[in-house]
Amino acid sequence: MSYHFGRGWSKWLPYLLLLPGVFFYFLIALGPSIATAVYSFTDATGIKGAPMHWIGFDNYREFLLMGRASVDNLEALKRTLLFCVAVTTVQFALGLFIALIVNQNLKGTNFFRTLYFMPVILGVVIQGLMWSLFLYPLGGPAAKMLALFGMRSEFLGGPPEQAFFWVIAIQIWANMGTTMMIFLAGLQTIPDELFEAARIDGANTWQVFSDITWPLLTPSVNTNLLLNIIGSLQAWQLFLVLVGYRNGTQVLGYLIYATGFGQTSGSVSSSFRQGYAAAASIVLFLLVLVIGMAVQTFLQRREERILG
Amino acid sequence: MSAPTAQKFSSRKIRWEILSSYLVMIFFALLYIGPILMLVNASLKTMPSFMKDATSLATELHFQNFIEAWTKANFPQYLLNSVIYTVAATTVYIVTAVFVAFPIARGYIKFSGAVLTLFVIAIFLPPALIPQFQLMLNLGLYNNPIGYIMLFIVNPIGIVILVNYIKAVPKELDEAAALDGCGYFRFVLTMILPLIRPALATVIVMHAIGIWNELIAPTIYLTNKNYYPITRGLIVFQGVYGSNWPTLAAAVLLLTTPMLILFLFLQRYIVSGLTAGSVKG
Repeated sequence: MSYHFGRGWSKWLPYLLLLPGVFFYFLIALGPSIATAVYSFTDATGIKGAPMHWIGFDNYREFLLMGRASVDNLEALKRTLLFCVAVTTVQFALGLFIALIVNQNLKGTNFFRTLYFMPVILGVVIQGLMWSLFLYPLGGPAAKMLALFGMRSEFLGGPPEQAFFWVIAIQIWANMGTTMMIFLAGLQTIPDELFEAARIDGANTWQVFSDITWPLLTPSVNTNLLLNIIGSLQAWQLFLVLVGYRNGTQVLGYLIYATGFGQTSGSVSSSFRQGYAAAASIVLFLLVLVIGMAVQTFLQRREERILG
Repeated sequence: MSAPTAQKFSSRKIRWEILSSYLVMIFFALLYIGPILMLVNASLKTMPSFMKDATSLATELHFQNFIEAWTKANFPQYLLNSVIYTVAATTVYIVTAVFVAFPIARGYIKFSGAVLTLFVIAIFLPPALIPQFQLMLNLGLYNNPIGYIMLFIVNPIGIVILVNYIKAVPKELDEAAALDGCGYFRFVLTMILPLIRPALATVIVMHAIGIWNELIAPTIYLTNKNYYPITRGLIVFQGVYGSNWPTLAAAVLLLTTPMLILFLFLQRYIVSGLTAGSVKG
């Protein structure tokens, strides 16, 4: 593309002005991101000036194969996958269902859309504290409702499986609006005439959905599935706010943070082992990569089959 | 004979569909309003009344909780810190981002496609958490507001959104402005910026919300209480007042309300940031 803004030194102006942005990007994002792999082969700590040694695959061996800790790590890995499957499935289905409902030409749908989307602006801290209060075990609203059926629960303070269940539910609550909005954007690209034509031909609601809406929604389906899967594999901040670092509830993301930056809570304690944490980051990264690519390939084949 | 019957049948069916739609919408609305209402109610109660019955309606309006939350937790300081971090980082980011996105979109630099790819790659690479920390530690920027702000002056997704938007601005404009003697720097600032306002707003809003709600970075990088942003401040406040729900609820509400009001104005920018490119796939 020809450049119009002068000759001589002013030809270099675009490069000069581009430099700060690119420099910061390398310094703060790209460089450190790649360096994670390098650190994973060292015994780096979080202490300034402490010596650092090359230790090969020791971190990986320890993380995956050695002793009690590796059993916990593999448990956390399984839990991460469970969290991903549960969150993705429910959030995807619910987001689609709600999008179809609020996409109808009914009064007040705008209000409901805004309401469901609201948690995105609140952030994990407010989302978490709000639900901690709602799940207050000594007579909070959720406890009252259970009491109606003669049941009681400690919710987030209960057994690990229960706490884990509630974090899944709150994660879905917080992010369902995003899924819904992406589906809504997709629904709005489908021409109304298609629906009208189908109705005139006598198609029922289910037929309209399965023959028109679902196939034409393919791009939004792909976006949502990938976003949900990758997002939930990496999500862990609600765990921090809602339950803390607790045995039987850790997911990989939280484990990385705790081993790298030190977290002590109850019987679980960890130190600043940043080389080890970097190795754990790479394990999570590979997990995201493998699952992401498999899903992407599957979705692409499916799209070719449906949309030709 | 049969036509009116069919019509009657279908209109009844439609009415049933509408009714069940509203039932679903209201059910989910309760799930979203419920926790906020509970927050409001608890914040207006006294501690003894909360202990006695957490969900009963507040009989008297006990505004003392708000005063207590505001003064005891150093919230004005936290709030000011959050504003400074968000405004400073977003400003630096958006200015540098425009000067990255514009020449890429126009092809005014060599290998502009490759440069853009470089930015897209970051979205798929491993998290930078550990080396970033080592970098800040060795630069002496640990527990330092400047270092903290530096963490947030990068956002590759925003660059992609800006590039796509700038591509839609006609290139003839560049030529005409240059013929009139307008320089590159002035052209970008006075001509391009106003033309890409919707994309700018989307990127700014997305980026700013991310900084405002950030919890992990302040936990890792800031140890001095005077540097805490509001997220970290709230978590610390919860640690101290965890059992005093009326005060804690008042604190949460004090910080939720402005966000909710802001949300009503900014919603469309957040939505367009989310759906940018996603419909095309």
